[in-house]
Amino acid sequence: MSSFTKSAQQWATFARSWYLIDARMQPPGKIATMCSIRLQGKHKPIYHALSDCGDHVVVMNTRHIAFSGNKWEQKVYSSHTGYPGGFKQVTAAQLHHKDPKAIVKLAVYGMLPKNLSRRTMMQRLHLFPDDALPEDILQNLTEELPQPRAVPRKLSEYTQEERQAFPTLWTPPEDFRLK
Amino acid sequence: MTSRGTPSRFLQSVLQNGVGRYVCQLKRISLIFSKKGQSSLGAREFIEEGVVDFAKKNPGTVVYVSPQSCRIPKIVAEYLNGTVREEAITMKSSQDISALVKKLTEQSGLDIIRIRKPFHTDSPSIQGQWHPFTNRPPSIGPVKPRDGQA
Repeated sequence: MSSFTKSAQQWATFARSWYLIDARMQPPGKIATMCSIRLQGKHKPIYHALSDCGDHVVVMNTRHIAFSGNKWEQKVYSSHTGYPGGFKQVTAAQLHHKDPKAIVKLAVYGMLPKNLSRRTMMQRLHLFPDDALPEDILQNLTEELPQPRAVPRKLSEYTQEERQAFPTLWTPPEDFRLK
Repeated sequence: MTSRGTPSRFLQSVLQNGVGRYVCQLKRISLIFSKKGQSSLGAREFIEEGVVDFAKKNPGTVVYVSPQSCRIPKIVAEYLNGTVREEAITMKSSQDISALVKKLTEQSGLDIIRIRKPFHTDSPSIQGQWHPFTNRPPSIGPVKPRDGQA
């Protein structure tokens, strides 16, 4: 306690952390909830609505997010350009194809409180479509947050032994024709 | 400052007074009283009893004692930041005036208005203040994206 001064203690308390979230195969809403709490600083015991105590959040692999259900085709993102007839509607798949960061960004933006500090908090959100992060951001990172969902394994990632050890419901007869 | 509500400020001290050394912020104190008036009785008693002791105890403060023909005796306190505070001491006893002078000496001269975030504790934590690394498992080396990601 006495090895450093009170002012250094104060700086440590109000220092901003940088969190890393891997969005690979994660639902964007879950990612956005984690981001929104950290960006507002609500995970800190020193949280106060008037003190700007939000942290930085780095989200990588936003290109590889996973929607459940048929949201890729059914979820619609609407906007209006302001001109007559300027109402645009794109599905999640189209928007994701155009900008792989947009879905996570819009989800976080919608979860932040609607006040003047929303844009400031958004500036502390750093989105990367792939897992290549710039060196200056890598140096700032303090903690990687656990993923909210376990990443499922693909069939190609299972070994031959594991595939053969998988329980079968019925034994196909000798003359069974697989299409 | 917003236009609505009462004026407010954050808790502060003048130039971090008291962090290293303490400088009394009371620059000058003048005691204005009447030589004859009934309302200045306590003020005259204080001048007989306590004012010399006060001046000796506070070498950084200039003390003026000025007899004027006035109905309302008062104390005018001037602070290093330019604040001037006038306190009427009509019909106050010597002890009351002594307490008032002590209070004026200990004040910083900042506006006495509502304090924002008036959080305070008499028993500060012995574990130290929270910081982002408390209750976090220690890690070696910089944080990196996990390996083995295709």
